[in-house]
Amino acid sequence: MIEAKPNIEFVIGEEKRLSEIVSRVEIEPLLRSALKLGIARAALLDEDDLPLALLGELPEGGAPVRRQLNIMVEGEPKGALLLEATSELPGFEAIARLLQDALQLTVTNNLKRMLTTEVHTSIVQESYDQLVNTNRRLMESERRYRDLARDLELKVEERTAELKVAYSRLLQQEKLAAVGQLAAGMAHEINTPLGFIGSNLHSFAKYQARMTEMLELYQRLLEEGGALEQIRQQTGQRRQQLKLDFVLTDSGLLLEQCREGVERIATIVAQLKGFAHLDGMEQQRMDLVHELEQLLAGLAPQFPPNTKLITDLQPLPPVVCRVPLLVQAFANILDNALKSRTEGLELRVSSIVTGERLQISISDNGDGIPADQLPRIFEPFFTTRPVGSGTGMGLTVAREAIVSAGGGIEVVSQPGLGTTCTVTLPLSV
Amino acid sequence: MIEFDEQQKRLVLKLVYYGPALSGKTTNLLCLHDQLQQEGRGELMLLDTTEDRTIYFDLLPFFYVAPSGLKIKLKVYTVPGQVRHDATRKAVLQRADGVVFIADSLLSQQGVNAESFANLEQNLSMVGLAIEQLPLVVQFNKQDLPGVVPEAELRETWGPTGLPVLMASALQGWGVLETFQAAVEGVFDAVDQKLGLQERFQVSRDDFVAALIKVEKP
Repeated sequence: MIEAKPNIEFVIGEEKRLSEIVSRVEIEPLLRSALKLGIARAALLDEDDLPLALLGELPEGGAPVRRQLNIMVEGEPKGALLLEATSELPGFEAIARLLQDALQLTVTNNLKRMLTTEVHTSIVQESYDQLVNTNRRLMESERRYRDLARDLELKVEERTAELKVAYSRLLQQEKLAAVGQLAAGMAHEINTPLGFIGSNLHSFAKYQARMTEMLELYQRLLEEGGALEQIRQQTGQRRQQLKLDFVLTDSGLLLEQCREGVERIATIVAQLKGFAHLDGMEQQRMDLVHELEQLLAGLAPQFPPNTKLITDLQPLPPVVCRVPLLVQAFANILDNALKSRTEGLELRVSSIVTGERLQISISDNGDGIPADQLPRIFEPFFTTRPVGSGTGMGLTVAREAIVSAGGGIEVVSQPGLGTTCTVTLPLSV
Repeated sequence: MIEFDEQQKRLVLKLVYYGPALSGKTTNLLCLHDQLQQEGRGELMLLDTTEDRTIYFDLLPFFYVAPSGLKIKLKVYTVPGQVRHDATRKAVLQRADGVVFIADSLLSQQGVNAESFANLEQNLSMVGLAIEQLPLVVQFNKQDLPGVVPEAELRETWGPTGLPVLMASALQGWGVLETFQAAVEGVFDAVDQKLGLQERFQVSRDDFVAALIKVEKP
């Protein structure tokens, strides 16, 4: 900031002394010309009759002849021209008048020049002050804009952070939604074996009662010590009544079924656990083919009717990544494929190593994606599904996960014919 | 007030002729110079002009010596009316004891009058003078010309301001002295209130006004 210096302030109209208007140097040539014309002493006196300029000398005995004429400033006598001679000179009066006029002209012109200079100076000062002011205002506004720009950066940072939080929350929600969807399928899958295990156990409990009864009969008859033939007859009869031959055969079947059911449930739970990867997000080695197989198995209940699954999964070297994220990505891609047709889906899943990359292709023979929508499929919240049935985050999340694992995703679609989604991932060292 | 030196018994006052460009401020001063006796006034000093337009200011001083020995000098100034010389107007207005606003009576110039008056108000406040306390006289000049706003209408417009409004033709020489007199009386009253001219310095209002306005005998 520039501090304005205090101005030299002129007040127009301020009274001026003669000495301010003319200087001795300006006056002396005029007075000297008087001396040349025979005048002994010439002087310009100021308001207080003190000489501003004085030339010549008076001889002893003083000057017998003198003329004193006023010099006016703004209409007021502000000084006088004093001429002294030893004797009355010819033309003394005329010389005096001439000199007075000359002095008066000098004084008036000097005064005019002073006044215009003063006005001019105050105008210059004022415009300088205005410039300083303008400059200060400009600097002020520049500073404001700079602050604004800085604030803007901060705001952008804030919003970006908020977006990140919201985005990760969405990601989480998406994951939860997928898990929920899977869980619903799983519940159904678990319910079936649970149902027949329950019913089998119920039957087995009845069988067990009959077997107990039979054993007790044997026990009692042996303790009574009857004839062997009689025991054989009595027990044989009872055994037939209780249909124990059938019961024993059927029990084995029932238990075998229960065991199978438990195994199915165990498999499903293992899949769920693998899918949800509830244990941490650190980088882990992942067998992609195994994960894909598990995913497909897990998603099987959601296959539309008459689905034909064609897999060509060649063994792949392990991928180091955040396993849950990548599994989620493939789940989302598969989910899209499953929803591409209401029935007669032909789903092809293949994996291959090409050069330094892994390539996984997932193709369907579904409706395909219209060309105008294709560029938008990775946009967050872009969905063509009815409100409530799709978040529009599936492919966004998928790409996010794949890109963060150093890979890429490419979607090729032919409307009416189907869509192929190709994921490439780097070979881990 | 430019200067008041009680010991030296000296009082220097300032009256400013303000108004839009070409409204006749300098003509008013020339007219005063012509119509008033040399006794009691100084010479009219016209500072540099371009094409007869004032660019700095004009000055006509008046003198009065009271019986108490108090010397009063009233300096009458004009300002340049052109918009571009605003800084000069402001400089001339400093420490004014009174203002005569010379307005142009032509119908086409009424907007310009209003602008100039607004400019006067603004500049007065910028040099620290309160317009309500400053003696202000309004003169509608050029009344001799055709196409002027009728007097009744001017009075109706300006009457509510409470300011003395006078009609004049500076070119023909009428209304100028009346305007000057009204302004001098206003200045005297204002200064009297501040300094007690009549009580402390035995300056009579009538004497003062009469001394300044001595009409040249034909």
